[in-house]
Amino acid sequence: MMSIALTLTPEEIVGPSPMQMLRKRVFGHRGLMFGSVVLIVVFLLALFAPLLATHDPFAQDLTARMRPPVFLGGSWDHILGTDQLGRDFLSRLLYGARISLTIGFVTAIISGVIGTTMGVAAGYFGGRTDTIVTFLITTRLAMPVVLVALAVVAIFGGSLQVVILVLGFLLWDRFAVVMRAATRQIVSREYVTAARAIGCSVPRIVLSEILPNVANSLIIVVTLEMAHAILLEAALSFLGLGVQPPTPSWGLMVSEGKQMMLFNPWMITIPGIALFALVLAINLLGDGLRDVTAPENRN
Amino acid sequence: MSDGIFRAAGVATMTRSAAVMSHKYARAGLVALGIALASSSAYADKASDTLSVAFTKELESVDSYFNSAREGVVLQRAIWDGLIYRDPKTSEYIGNLATSWKWVDDTTLELELRKGVKFHNGEDFDADDVVYTIEFVTNPANGAKTQRNVNWMKNAEKVDQYTVRIHTAGPFPAALEFLSGPVSMYPNEYYAKVGPSGMGVEPVGTGPYKVVKVEPGKHFVLEANENYFDGPKSKAKIGKIDIRTIPDINTQLAELMSGSIDFIWQLPADQAEQLALMDKFTVANESTMRIGYLTMDAIGHSKAGGPFSHQKVRQAVSHAVDRQTIVDSLLKGASKVVHSACFPSQFGCTGDVATYDYNPEKAKQLLVEAGYPDGFTVDLYAYRDPNYAQAISSYLTAVGIKANVRMLQYSALREQQMKGEVPFSLQSWASYSVNDASAIVSEFFKFGALDEAHDEEVKGWLDVADSSTDPEKRKEYYAKALNKIAEQAYWLPLFSYNANYIFTKEVSYQPTPDEVLRFVEMSWN
Amino acid sequence: MLVFAFKRLGLAILVALTVSVLSFGLLFLSGDPATAVAGEGATETDIEAISAFYGFDRPFIVQYGEWLWNAMRGDFGQSYYFQIPVASLIADRLTITMTLGVCAIIFALVIAIPLGVAAAVRPNSIVDRTALFVSVLGQAMPSFWFGLLLIVLFSIKLGWLAPSGTQNWHNFIMPTVVLGYYAMPAIMRLTRAGMLEVLHADYIRTARAKGAGEWRVLFKHALRNAIIPVVSLAAVQMGFMLGGSIVVESIFALHGAGYLAWESIARNDLPTVQALILIFSMFYIAFTFLSDLLNAWLDPRMRVA
Repeated sequence: MMSIALTLTPEEIVGPSPMQMLRKRVFGHRGLMFGSVVLIVVFLLALFAPLLATHDPFAQDLTARMRPPVFLGGSWDHILGTDQLGRDFLSRLLYGARISLTIGFVTAIISGVIGTTMGVAAGYFGGRTDTIVTFLITTRLAMPVVLVALAVVAIFGGSLQVVILVLGFLLWDRFAVVMRAATRQIVSREYVTAARAIGCSVPRIVLSEILPNVANSLIIVVTLEMAHAILLEAALSFLGLGVQPPTPSWGLMVSEGKQMMLFNPWMITIPGIALFALVLAINLLGDGLRDVTAPENRN
Repeated sequence: MSDGIFRAAGVATMTRSAAVMSHKYARAGLVALGIALASSSAYADKASDTLSVAFTKELESVDSYFNSAREGVVLQRAIWDGLIYRDPKTSEYIGNLATSWKWVDDTTLELELRKGVKFHNGEDFDADDVVYTIEFVTNPANGAKTQRNVNWMKNAEKVDQYTVRIHTAGPFPAALEFLSGPVSMYPNEYYAKVGPSGMGVEPVGTGPYKVVKVEPGKHFVLEANENYFDGPKSKAKIGKIDIRTIPDINTQLAELMSGSIDFIWQLPADQAEQLALMDKFTVANESTMRIGYLTMDAIGHSKAGGPFSHQKVRQAVSHAVDRQTIVDSLLKGASKVVHSACFPSQFGCTGDVATYDYNPEKAKQLLVEAGYPDGFTVDLYAYRDPNYAQAISSYLTAVGIKANVRMLQYSALREQQMKGEVPFSLQSWASYSVNDASAIVSEFFKFGALDEAHDEEVKGWLDVADSSTDPEKRKEYYAKALNKIAEQAYWLPLFSYNANYIFTKEVSYQPTPDEVLRFVEMSWN
Repeated sequence: MLVFAFKRLGLAILVALTVSVLSFGLLFLSGDPATAVAGEGATETDIEAISAFYGFDRPFIVQYGEWLWNAMRGDFGQSYYFQIPVASLIADRLTITMTLGVCAIIFALVIAIPLGVAAAVRPNSIVDRTALFVSVLGQAMPSFWFGLLLIVLFSIKLGWLAPSGTQNWHNFIMPTVVLGYYAMPAIMRLTRAGMLEVLHADYIRTARAKGAGEWRVLFKHALRNAIIPVVSLAAVQMGFMLGGSIVVESIFALHGAGYLAWESIARNDLPTVQALILIFSMFYIAFTFLSDLLNAWLDPRMRVA
């Protein structure tokens, strides 16, 4: 016994700790790494946009319209060129990151709160509550999202707030579905039954026993819905019923650049790539988190 | 998501008929797929004597009394005729379906009709058609879309088979202008039978082109009317006009460049400029009668005592916007800065009014004098041209007025404005191509729901100008009204719009300033 | 089975009624439709006359009741804009949207299923990773941007395909690709997951042990079982796609129902928008219902849910 113990390091006896394993899985996952890095970069760019932007994103110069980016023969004064009103493309792109991220985060929070409340309630109480929630989810799924969002924005007028609220109130379905299933599973476990038996209050059980256990699935849905919301905002703005000019939304920038896309394709390519990269990063992050936290769920 | 419960719902939710219909659609879809796969490319060019034209707006109805779009006017001029014709070059009134006319008194116009004219369906044209058409469209219950085009007429009366009298609702000096514009003559028997909805799908007129195909909103095919009478409009020179609605101007452009469309118009200046450089197409630019302007809530509908109730604030706005630069770099072409609340070619329109040069310093100073040293924040409403709105907003920011652009659909903007909720807006008006100042200045400054000046004096002068039959007196009174509007800066008139017409080099066409596309004036090179 | 089906029908009717109230109510909020009907340049008197003519001044319940009663008989009223019955207007446009939807789902299935199978056969191989990569890319590509890029490339630079219209079958190529690729990732992932599960099942091992050829095992035994959830997913996706064709139709100027919806919203053409929301919802409800029945029929355990 002694000799064996002497020849082994403590690590070899207990194996790597869960934390270490997790770290290894996280850093070994290329998609996750790529997604996080891109997302962090975009986040930092958005955060420090006022410092990084070379121009005021709203300052127009009608005498310097549609200057090409530097790699297409433009000048270093406007690194990514200027738009149809002579505004600096790079600066608008940086500020646009703020719009997209805000939309993603806030929409995910609103829809997350709505959907999680409904899902947890349905899963926890079951019975009639479950029937009602299920009915609401079914009804919501039956409504064409883009069409309804367009109609609502058309009525209330496009603005960042309206778009966020509309998307927040439309995109809760996946939260509700996932949370309902996850809660159902957990409610039947012993510790929850025990907590109920000793008379713990419902909010306490939900907060201390259920939510921590469904957090994994929740985070994954958050990433999915963030990406979804960002894409939808871009599509609405592209169709002219999203956020309003002169807000530098990436979707709006594609829409404005579309006017000249046959002559200056870079005007749609640059904001399009930005949008694509951000959504890709969020999706990779979500996929990665799923792989890392629950490898058996990978599919 | 694969959880079974979330797939609940079903066919029973569709009613029987809806279910049957959806089945029909599904089958139709497959049939269409088959047809689409089988059909071959349609060909349109000089060789086949077919001109392919793109429309931007989905036209609601071909019946010209039941649409309000430019595209509708274009079709109207091709399919129907008015009693009178205004030569687009000389602005002279010539007989068309009427050969001569005279004012019997202030409210009675007597017209001699042209003999031997036939409608496309073979019906003869005579006084009965005129009386029926006018009686039908002037009856508000029939719901003609643009009442102002027709409600100046009270009724029509047949004198004999080729003589009619039109009674106007009051003295109406612009009668000839309307009779040569929006009022066209319909076949009484056919119209009585099919009504506006039938006319919208199978239109019948006397015009130089007859309609052979209508797919509502999206596709129209016209064919030259071989039996067209020898009138002031020339006969059709191109055999077939094939019109497709392509809502996106860039898609139109892509179609033009790839050769499946021959003629587009209303292309923005930037693209037109690039196309002109390519030298593959003819790029023609012509002014239109549409002018852009800023409305300012002078009477305080939106907010009593709001900033725009001060004349100096309105003048400050007028000095703050560099209209010339906007015209030079955004509108380009034949556009011009306008100073007066009308289009320069309109009868009664004068440019000899108070003008406001671009002077941001003066604007700031006026704001100080008006009691707004730090400026103010306001919503700038607009329904088209987001770029112009943004440019204007940016100029205003520079003098301290923070104008947030709010883009709305036209109807929504108009409704809010009628409710008095719009303090500041960028709008435009094309006067229906009516070449008379009454079509714009009297429309907006006679205490209607869109009048934000409510100036008694202006209204009084306009009343005189609108109903006088003495041209000199009319001019004098329009000038008085326009002068006061400019001096008070109730509006900031901005610029006239222009239109770019792009067509293949096989086509020859000379656009006109009224922005009416005349297919009869087009020919192959 | 019959009880299950009837229960589902009952729920479906309730859902449909709720959707109808919502869509009718939502658009009732949009303000005075008379202004929209009147169009640019109408005067107040025009608008008042129109309001009285259409009965916009009556209470909500009355208008809703009348609308629902007529809608149940397939009459969605007159389009304010086109002045023709909404039903015939939509029938015409739905043909195009259905054609597009069918093409897109076929496209998605044809690409996604083989990819999913290949990925499942060799998990973590190059093929698997590529398939996963493609699906992640697909989910991140904004469809309007993708569509524009295709136009620039294939219509302008190469001149192979017309950028718009519905005259020819090749007009449908680009829209099909744009609409279809969006449905692809989910189908691919589900195929892969299903195949992975099935390939580990006992009967596959038995089949292999019996010496059945690899292709035979894959396609005859495995795929047949793995495809069931995929088919029902495809049905649901189809429902989503019809509602999501708005963007694609607007880019390629396809005069389908999605494009009509967009334009009708812009023109405040209430009856058309109401009918379209209802019809798109019905399609979704119908497709999910069918996929439920299919699942329940194939797998009796599902019937309790």
